[in-house]
Amino acid sequence: MLTALRTILSAVLAGLLGLDAVQAGQFLLSRPAFVGPALGWLNGCPLEGARLGILLELLYIDFIPVGGVVPPNGAAAAAAAVLAHSAGGLPPALSFFIGLAAGAAYSPIEYRLRAARSLWNTAVAEQVKAGDFNIGRWLARALLAENAALGFYVACCAALSAALALVPRLGSIYPGADFAYSLMPWLGLSGLYFRFRTQVGKK
Amino acid sequence: MLFSMFLRSFFIQAGWNYERFQNLGFVFALAPALRRIYPDREKLKAALLRHLEIFNTQPYMSGFVLGNIAAMEERASSAADPAAELAKMPGVKQALASSFASIGDRIFWGRLKPMTAQICLLVWAAGGFYGWLFTGLDERVPLALLLGGPLAGTVFYSAFAVYYRWKGVRRGFACGGAANCALDTVNWPRLIRLLSIAGFLMSLAIVALAFSLLIGVNGCACGGWRLALKAVVPVCVLALHRLTRAFGRSVFFAAGALLAVSILLFSVFGLEPLKFYL
Repeated sequence: MLTALRTILSAVLAGLLGLDAVQAGQFLLSRPAFVGPALGWLNGCPLEGARLGILLELLYIDFIPVGGVVPPNGAAAAAAAVLAHSAGGLPPALSFFIGLAAGAAYSPIEYRLRAARSLWNTAVAEQVKAGDFNIGRWLARALLAENAALGFYVACCAALSAALALVPRLGSIYPGADFAYSLMPWLGLSGLYFRFRTQVGKK
Repeated sequence: MLFSMFLRSFFIQAGWNYERFQNLGFVFALAPALRRIYPDREKLKAALLRHLEIFNTQPYMSGFVLGNIAAMEERASSAADPAAELAKMPGVKQALASSFASIGDRIFWGRLKPMTAQICLLVWAAGGFYGWLFTGLDERVPLALLLGGPLAGTVFYSAFAVYYRWKGVRRGFACGGAANCALDTVNWPRLIRLLSIAGFLMSLAIVALAFSLLIGVNGCACGGWRLALKAVVPVCVLALHRLTRAFGRSVFFAAGALLAVSILLFSVFGLEPLKFYL
């Protein structure tokens, strides 16, 4: 019961923090490095949350949200990973790869939400023409929709992870997943290194 | 008015859409200025509709465009021929949005954002937490340190972000009207270069620290060839990442390949996995 409550709270918090990625503030509180330990703390595993968060962050550094590109969602990735571990009961290694996939799988949802808002332009123009200048209402609606979508998605990921934990003989893949997970810091460090290495020579 | 625009600029991407990008957020942020400039409702309506057109720039640099456009609207409202002033506006808006988007992407997404991860790792290292490198290691780490690392990065990044948002609105409003307005606020190429060098040096420091830890943790208790293997595997991972980048694949491809090979070797064939710490 307590785990379910914590999971729901975590999903809501992930949804709120996720808004920071694009829509509100952009203080980088939606980074996996912050979402990981924050949700880990909420779920009683801050150390594992921090580890999952920073490793996801190091891999997500490769993606830049320029123009209309919808990169994999770091907040969704970190939240899904932490909840797969804390609520789903999966080991950190498997939770990490679930988070990695969950962040990438959220991109099409984010794309659809953005595309759906294109239809609002005509409605907003009609509203202004009619003498109602309150545009903030539309933005509030957009924030609410994004928050709800991400929160619901994270809760679904947690439920799927819990279901995955029941799969018979799942434990047989743990040694391989553990070793691959132990290589992720090095993969992340190489991303960090090459990101700046290529920039230093540029004018 | 400027402060209100600055605060609202934090929501410039709230209504981001594929048809007109940041237009809804732009109008929302500009609204306080337009309300003051045009007390007449019909003129205000026309101004709001004018700015519902397509708009896109780097969110942290949006203040430069907002300030500039607010100044142009103010000038147009008191001009003898407002139509002539307003005719210039779309061109200036587009030119500034493109220029500041290019500068902002390089500074914020290309340099400062990855630096937040570096700062987090360095703060953790300073606090004695290396658990991010050795994934199975069990440690007791204070919560303040675990949250302090990412928060330090956030504070560093946000200092730049908030400063340029505010400075942008003020400078843009002060010199509004020209397509090159406020582009000389900072020596941008120099700043970009400095950030690149700082980021690269921090990258080198973190990679050196990681290899030192790897050797330090294993050095005393591990034989020569085993220690060499533990150092070679990370180097191979670095090379794999370089290779995947060269072939235009994302880091996810490399991560997936490592997972698949590891499961094959250690789960299917049952080999004993190598541990990077003792």
